[in-house]
Order: sequence, then structure tokens, then C-alpha cells
Amino acid sequence: MVASAVELRLRNSRRDTANQFVSAEAVTSWRRIYNSRAKAQYFLARGFALDRDSTYYFFLTMITLSIDGRAVTVPNGATILDAARGLAIDVPTLCWYPRLPVVGSCRLCLVSVAGAPKLMAACAAQAEEGMAVETETPAAVANRRSVLGLLLERYPTDRLAPDGQDVAVGAAGFDGGGPNEFERLLRRYAVPLRPERHHELALRTGDERPGDPMIRHDMSTCILCTRCVRACADLQVVGVLDVAQRGERAEIVVGGDGDPDHAACTWCGECVRVCPTGAIHEVLPPRRFPKERVAAPERAVRSVCPYCGVGCQVDLHVRENAVVRVTSPWIEEDTPNSGSTCVKGRFGYDFPQHRDRLRAPLIRRGWVKRRDRWRYEGPAAERRRGPWLSIDDEGERPKPRPPERAVGKPLASLSHIPRGPDDVRDRVATPASWYEPFREATWDEAMELVSQELSRIRRERGPDALAVFCSAKCTNEENYVLQRMFRAGFNTNNVDHCTRLCHSSSVAAMQRALNTSAASGSMREVEEVSDVIFVAGANVTEAHPVFGAAVKRAQRRGAKLIVADTRRIELAQRADIHLHLLPGTDVALFNAMLWHIITRDLHDRAFIAGRTHGFDAVRAAVEPYTLQRAQTITGVPAADIAQAAELFARGPRSSTLWAMGLTQHAAGTDIVASLLNLILATGMIGRWGAAMIPIRGQNNVQGASDVGAIPMFYTDYQSVADPAVRRRFATAWRVPEESLSLTPGLRVTEVVAEGSPVRGMYIFGENPIISDPDVAHAEHWFQALEFLAVQDLFLTETARLADVVLPGASYAEKDGTFVNTERRIQRVRKACEPPGEARGDLEILIELSNRAGLPAPFADPREVMEEIAAVTPSWAGVTYERLDMAGLQYPVPDRESGGAAFLFADRFPTGDGRGTMVPVEYLPPSELPNDQYPFMMNTGRQLYHWHTGTMTRRAKGLDAREPVPTVELNPADAAELGVFDGDPVRLVSRRNAILIAARISDRVQRRQLFLPFHFREAAANLLTNPALDPYAKIPEFKCCAVRVEGAA
Amino acid sequence: MSQTTGAGAVAGAESLPPVFDEAGRRELDAVVARYPTKAAALLPALWMVQRKHGWVSPQGMAEVAEALALTPAYVKGVVTFYSMYHQHPVGTHFVQLCTTTPCNVCGAEKVAEAFLRATGAKRLGETSPDGAWTVVEVECLGACGFATPVLLDDDFIESVTPESVPAIVARYR
Repeated sequence: MVASAVELRLRNSRRDTANQFVSAEAVTSWRRIYNSRAKAQYFLARGFALDRDSTYYFFLTMITLSIDGRAVTVPNGATILDAARGLAIDVPTLCWYPRLPVVGSCRLCLVSVAGAPKLMAACAAQAEEGMAVETETPAAVANRRSVLGLLLERYPTDRLAPDGQDVAVGAAGFDGGGPNEFERLLRRYAVPLRPERHHELALRTGDERPGDPMIRHDMSTCILCTRCVRACADLQVVGVLDVAQRGERAEIVVGGDGDPDHAACTWCGECVRVCPTGAIHEVLPPRRFPKERVAAPERAVRSVCPYCGVGCQVDLHVRENAVVRVTSPWIEEDTPNSGSTCVKGRFGYDFPQHRDRLRAPLIRRGWVKRRDRWRYEGPAAERRRGPWLSIDDEGERPKPRPPERAVGKPLASLSHIPRGPDDVRDRVATPASWYEPFREATWDEAMELVSQELSRIRRERGPDALAVFCSAKCTNEENYVLQRMFRAGFNTNNVDHCTRLCHSSSVAAMQRALNTSAASGSMREVEEVSDVIFVAGANVTEAHPVFGAAVKRAQRRGAKLIVADTRRIELAQRADIHLHLLPGTDVALFNAMLWHIITRDLHDRAFIAGRTHGFDAVRAAVEPYTLQRAQTITGVPAADIAQAAELFARGPRSSTLWAMGLTQHAAGTDIVASLLNLILATGMIGRWGAAMIPIRGQNNVQGASDVGAIPMFYTDYQSVADPAVRRRFATAWRVPEESLSLTPGLRVTEVVAEGSPVRGMYIFGENPIISDPDVAHAEHWFQALEFLAVQDLFLTETARLADVVLPGASYAEKDGTFVNTERRIQRVRKACEPPGEARGDLEILIELSNRAGLPAPFADPREVMEEIAAVTPSWAGVTYERLDMAGLQYPVPDRESGGAAFLFADRFPTGDGRGTMVPVEYLPPSELPNDQYPFMMNTGRQLYHWHTGTMTRRAKGLDAREPVPTVELNPADAAELGVFDGDPVRLVSRRNAILIAARISDRVQRRQLFLPFHFREAAANLLTNPALDPYAKIPEFKCCAVRVEGAA
Repeated sequence: MSQTTGAGAVAGAESLPPVFDEAGRRELDAVVARYPTKAAALLPALWMVQRKHGWVSPQGMAEVAEALALTPAYVKGVVTFYSMYHQHPVGTHFVQLCTTTPCNVCGAEKVAEAFLRATGAKRLGETSPDGAWTVVEVECLGACGFATPVLLDDDFIESVTPESVPAIVARYR
């Protein structure tokens, strides 16, 4: 191990006793496994025959045996260990782990079975009718002692206190926290320790991942249980680890050469989670998290990960008002993530403690209070500016080369990013100059100024001169109160959030076709049941890694995978069919698939006749899209299109997943509509296993839309233009009916536009300066506002333009609820207090609402949820009490309803219960390459970063993985341009130019580029085309023509 | 199946010529066709690597993993299990001689010493300074009646004595 690295090793937190998994209820009756996917999955994986109605799983045949003299009835096929766990009898295990393949190699769980000639491995031996098992017979105990004794021969016993005392904090490698799983067994069986000098074998070694920013190994404590190997290969379906040098020098290796980068490691930390001795452990930022604090947290709080829409539940370990570590729930608990996390969830938790956190409200210098009124008296020319570089300027600044990806090499040999004026790692933090135009203020001053100015603009320029951006990163309760304040307090519907920039076109198309705005099914049906999985324009393994792993597990179980993507992303490489299409040609592809299905008579006539309208028009529209024509347009071989179409239509259960690859186009609504036609014509919706899932990007983008943070709808997509709806809300909010506007408000992209009437804005946790299309224009637009208030964690690129900045709370500092991509409403729980004077977001919004004249009579988020439930028919049955554990998948129309794992079994929520198919024609992207701009540029997410980088670039481990902006460039294009990996290149579009480093990668096709959008110093949206979809007003982020110039 | 394929995919290793170039690819395809699964062709594929490079380097393992859709760690696990795959470069000629009981009784150790003297290698397992010879001892070549048996590259030589060693070495030099 590298001596200079300060590391922390923690005992694996596997819970102590045998039974996490079988509840007391189940002990008495194994027949019913109450609605638990984790449990059912566990048994299904072992080949049990399970039956399922909508709520319960049932076992088919049962057998009875006795263990330690107690009778137990278990399903036929259960192992002795399963049966013992059912009785809460703790049979010791090391190599066994729930949901991992059984290897039966540690020989610790051997038990005595009456009549058997020798001991039997409880984890592998099937229970039989009438079997009499004894778990702690002298023979079994003697065997365990000898097995443990053998393992001890290579274990660093000198670091264990011989009398069985806990080892002192600070002993190398054993930093408190009590004995690990293996050491607990040593004590339980009183295995004598021998000093290391008497050992006959040297301590074990293995690959150690030196220099790794997040995960390291110390193989001296490895006991070769191979849980890590199986967790990586079977849960995450990656396979970074394996056992090599089999024999007396057997060890765990990382890939072929010790470098996880070369072995496709995604740093998900599944290996850390399953390791019983801490041989594989986390590296934590030592200065922010002293090891004594991490080793002994005050408490752990169950909450929901703040990143993507999968909605993983995580446990936040808290000590001294800081989240010091994140672990995942026990694997058998019923969580949407089955206890897994991705790299962001497990290692990206340190941003709330970053030094940049705002600790007090800020007011722009120049605002002074005279005779009870705030006036701006600063120099007008400098209004909303600072001494900083604008985004526009930063694009042109030279960028350092990315460091060589060299995890697995000695620390001394690693190259470093040169430090200097362009050091990106300093630029990640808020530059000191950004604070200069501000002064710290009291909450009273800040609140007073915000409410005075918003009210003034409303009075002088009318309600529609105000707009608010809500936040898909914040809770439902906060978004609800905010939109309520602007609608009822300021009388405008100019309420929107970043859903406009992600799935608004999906919502537009789904509203039109099915009158719905969310996924029809669940992630678990994709994993467990679907026969065919069609992933279109979604890089699931990087953008939603935990769901990505589930898709890979589904493929391993036998599901066929069809991927339509312009890049050779990981899923595309694994796919049975990769439809490698040209950017923006999706409509042609889906139409051709549908026409081929119709010509082969594979469409579902009964479904079409009984459940849809408009098939004939669609049939006529897709007829010209022959395979040949589609091949010409999309570049996908006709045979592939035909094969994919047939596979999808034959199913029998095909699920469809899509994301930004389809939606962020000027024809986004059309693209999704053509996909929906394909789904409806084949009847691949409304059955368990045939799910329609627009994969949501943000942790709560679904929820923010559900609670009305969009311009045309109140909660539950009730139209603002409907007087009856307005009456209901006016009553609920106790305001005169006329005060609520019947005019739908402006969308994000219409607010930030030339000629927009908006003069004053409130921005809640969003960063449009980086996320808007054509950000150079956006920057000027925001600078010209009369008043801008921003509520955020950091002084973001947007907040620096504000008049008032209100410091809010991170995900770990608030209570509330998030809704994940499968409509699951889950509780977010407060783990610690916001730093300094920063306040909870809900508290801020309630006070602001009260000051603005709209009483918000809520004491806590629970009361807000009561009001949401009262005005939201599909959430009517939601209460905080009912959201414990796995939450509820809405619709939950009443207190009795248990939610719905999938929808539309017999009708769609339209007037007559039928869906509508809408014919669409292929339109090329609004900007095509030409001689001057020969490349087609695509933008998107990287695994290690999140959106505008506000959070992940301040998370140490994540930022270490992707510290500088890079653009993916095909090797052939690179050769033509004379560009090598890491060389600076200049990207020029019709709007702007940026300097950036090239990453040579065959993931992109020739004449295409992929540019991540997380980096302000090379903001992708300086280049993107602000062309808008006519229905959803979503910009065309995915296609713009650029030129690449070598910049060396 | 690397997440972020870059030019640095196999950086660090000194670049060896690819094994599965056009001809190698054809040969591999023919081998793969003999088995029900791709993974089953792992051992022959590794032999191809060893034939071409003289040893199985991490780069070679990565190439095999890529070609057979296995993980590099799995390939390494297999390579390290079999002693006949060399994990380090060896001499142009590879001498394996039996030193198990019957051969030992018949003077195999003297034969080993003779090989070291004749080839210039310093000790068993170490390659001679000119890079031409590596001598190792192995367990039983299955020719106890003809002690001491030697496997020199692919040639099996029986009844080797310390005296016959210089002539044998001269023949291969």
C-alpha cells in the first residue's frame, strides 16, 4: 500500500444476524411473500416456481424439515441455509451472499444432517422433506474452527488484539469500528490467534489500485471469499475482478494489468459493499472527513440519492453535522436499487461540505435601503457584471491536457495537471472574484428586497413580467410551494423548470397519444420479465448506471437487447442488435420498423382495434418508409432494421426505454410520437413486462412536473386554462378565482428569449447559464433583467448575475419527497443542518410566500404534502407514513390503494379509454453539416459528472476521474486532422467557438463528435443550436454542425 | 469492452505487434468455429499469442479478452493458472527438464547444471544474457524409463546426460 495516501478502511456493515430477509410474518407463513421484489427475485434466481397475482408472490410446493429441533416449512428448492434463515438461526457464512451465485467454497456453513455420512454445505444443499439438521454439533463447530484457523494463517493477526479486544483506532488498516465480519466469526468460535512470525505463509498480496481516487485494496486481509468477483460480474455485469495465480499464491486481480481503467471499471463500489474484511475499501477525502469521524458515525439516515431519476435509496452516515460516508441498503431490502449504487451515489456525497457553500444571503453591492425602500444606486454600467470572465470568454481560454488515465500505477509515476492560471481544479471552485460584487446580508434584508422587487415588477409591468424556474433537484413540497406562490401570489403561470430541456417532448407526445406524462411500468419488470428491451437514445449505463446494470442483468437472464444509438456506448456493444443510426434520423427508423412489422403482419390487430385510434392514418404515413429508404436516411443496414422490428414485435413482452437521444431535437415530439406508434401498433404496453419508460434524468424531474412546476398545468397535469380546475385551486389556496391566470405561462426557452416580456426572475436551484441552448445569448439576456434572485447552494454561473442570492439546503439537509422515473414517491430525510446561516429551502419559500402576501400555512413538509394530496387526485392517498420503505408508485387515488407497478392494463386515461396514434413524417435536423461545418456534434452526460457540474465538480473523487473537458473524436477523423489524444482542438459552430482537449474514441462515428455539457470552461451550449421543437419548445441539443480545428 | 476507449487503451505496455491482425483473425475464427462457445477457444487463442510474442503479455491478454468477449481479469486468471503460458519474456529456446524422483536419482541435477553451463544462463528460470536460452525444471515428463528427459522447445529428447548436453545445445544454437 502506498504509505503517503491517507486511507480509511471500514468494517463492512453487513448486519449481524441471519435474518434480514425473512420477516417475523414470513417465519410463520412462507406461503406469502408480501409484495417484495427483492425477496421474489431472490427465489426466482434460484429457479423456484413462483406465481404472481398483482400483489403477492406465491410458492408452488412446500416441504417441511427441522433445524436444531424446530420445524420449518420452506418452498421446494430452498437450501438448508434459506430454511435456517427463516428460523433466524445464524449459520455462519463467508463466501455466501444474497443474490450472488452460490460457490460453496468457504466450507464454513457446513452443518450436520441426520443420516448423512458427512457434513453438508448449508448454502448449497437443498432442503428435503423430513430432513433433520443440526447447525452447531461438535463436528460442525470443529470444522468451522479449523477452516477459520487455516484462513488465519495468512491473516495479519498482529493487528488484532489477542484477547479479542477491539483494535485501537490508528492501528494500520484497522481504524476502529469494531471487528469485521471475519473477525466476528473468529471470536464466535474462539479461534486461537498465532502471532504472524509463526505463520507458515506470507500475507496475501494482490492488485492494490494505487493512486485510485475512490477504491483501494489491501489484500493482506483478503480471505478469497470471491464475493467481490461475483458482485462485479453478476450484479454489475462488468467483471473487473477475478482470481489469478490459483494455487497457494491465489490473489484477486484487477483486470489484466492491475489498471481498473483498462478493465471497464465504473467505480460503483459494489466490491466495497460486499467485502467481509475491508480488504477492498473506500478512500475518503481525509481532510474533510477525519477517520475517527467516519469510523464512528452518530447515526445513519435513510434517504434518496440526489443524482439521476432511478431514485436509489442510500444510507447517509452522519457525524458532527456532516455526511461522512454513504452506504447502500442491505441487498435484500425492498429498494428500487436492490441496494446497489453507482459511483455518483456512493462517492459523490462530499459536495455539501465544499468550502464554496454559501453560508449567508448575498446582496449585490449598490442596493441600499432608504426610507423603508430598497434602491439600486450602484454604477449602472456594472449592473449584473463582475470582474469575472463570462462563459463566452472562458470558452476561448486554453485548456490543460487531461491527465493520463493511470490508476494502477505507482503514485510517483502519475502525471499531474499543470497548475497555473488555467488550473481547472481551481476553476472548479468558485473563483474569489465572483464574490466581489456582493456583500453578505441578513435574511431579513434579503427577503425584504426580493419581495419588494418582485412585487414592484408585478405592479409596474404586470404579472407576466415575472417568471420562476423551479428545480428538478428539489423536493415536491418545495416546488409545490414555489409554483403556488407565483401562481396565486404573483398571478402568473410563468413557472417552468429544466424538464423543458429534457423530457418535455416526451410529455407532449405522451399527452397527445395517451394523456399520460410518466412511465407506464417499472424498472423491475424490465429486469425480471421483459423478453425484448428496446433502448433508444439512452446511455443507461452512464446516465442511470444502476438501471443500466439491471438491463445488463436482464440480458444475462436471456432478454434480447436492441439499442438505437448514434454512438457505440457500452449497451450498444453488448446489444443483440445495434441500430447505429445517423443523428436525428430516428423518425425514419421507427417508421420503417413499423412498416416492416405491418408488411410481415406482426402488428397486434386486436390491440389496435380495441385500444387505439388513428392506425389507418399512421399506416398510410409509414408506408413510404421502406427498409431501403430507411437505410439511405439512417445509415442502418436494412437487414438490421428488419430484424430489430421483428424481434420487437414478436416480444412477447417488449419494453421500450428512451431518453434525451430522442427528445432533445427540434423534431423531438415527432420522434417520440413515432416511437409511441410502434409501441401501440404492437401492443407493447399495459402488460407486466411490456413497459414504456421515458427514463427521467433528474432525481425529481418527474415530481416537479407532477406538482405543477410547469407553465400549462397545476398539479397532476390539470390544465390552467380550465375554469373548473382554477376554481378548485382558488378554493384550496384561499384566493379569489380571478387572481389565477387562465393563460398558460411561458416555457424556459421562451422566457430566455429575445422579445420575452419577463423583467424579473426567481431561480430556484437551476443554472440556466450553463444549461440553456446558446448560453452566450442567455448570459446577455440575464444581464439585462431588472431583478434576479437565485436560491442555490453555491455561487453558480447564474447566481453570480443575481441581485440577491439566497443560500439553500442540499439534499442531505432537508425533508421531503422525490419521485423517480417509475412514478415512485420516496421520502428524503434530513441528515444534518445547512451550514452557517443557510436555511432549508422550504423554510425560505414559505417565508417569501408569506411576505409576498400569499399565506403559506405550513409548518413542515408533511403539511405541504397534505395539501398536495388534497389537490392532486392521483396522489390523494399519499401520506408520509405510507411512504416509508420503498415508497409508493402513483396513482394512489385513496388510502387503501397500494400504488401501481404498471398502468394501462385495460384502458388509457383518455376520454374513451383509447390511445391515439399520430402520423409523423421524418424531418432532418434543423442544422446539417456542410463544407464549412462538416461535423455533427452531439452533447450529453459522462458517468462521473452531473449536468452543470455544480455538485459533481465539487465532489473530490468524481472530479478526479474527469477533471477537464474533453470532446470525443473518431480515430480516423483525428488522424486526418493530425490530432493526438489530449491535443487541444477548437470547435467552431455557427454561433460560437470553444477550445477543448480531444479524446480519441471509436465510440463516435466518423464526422461526429460527442461533447459533455458539464464544464463551464468549455460550455457545450455555447455551440448548440437553439432551434426549438414546435410543440414542447425543447431545444435541439443533440445536433449541431461544427468545424474542428487543430489548435496546437 | 472498455468504457472510455482512448488511444491509451493498452498504454503502458511496450507495443507488441497485434496477434489478431487479418491472418490471426482468420486463424482464430477457424478455432472458434470448432467450439460451441467463443469462450471455449480461450486456450488456443492464448497459444496463438505465445507463438507470436514468445510470451503472454498484458497486451496479449487484453487482445484475447476483446476478441473472445471475455473480461481481461478472467483471461489473466486462466493464464496464471497454467504454467505453460509464460507471463514474462523467455529465451528463444525454452528448455524444460524433469527433476522428479526417478530422474533425480539418475542425475537430473547434473544435467540441469550442464544446461546452465552450456547456455550461459545463471540459474534455472533465468534467461541467458544473450536472450537465447531459458532453462526450467518441471514435474515429470512421463518418461521415467529414459531419464533424464528434456523438452527443448517442441522436441522431446530422452536419456540426456551431462555429457550429451553441449552437443544438444550446439545443435539448436
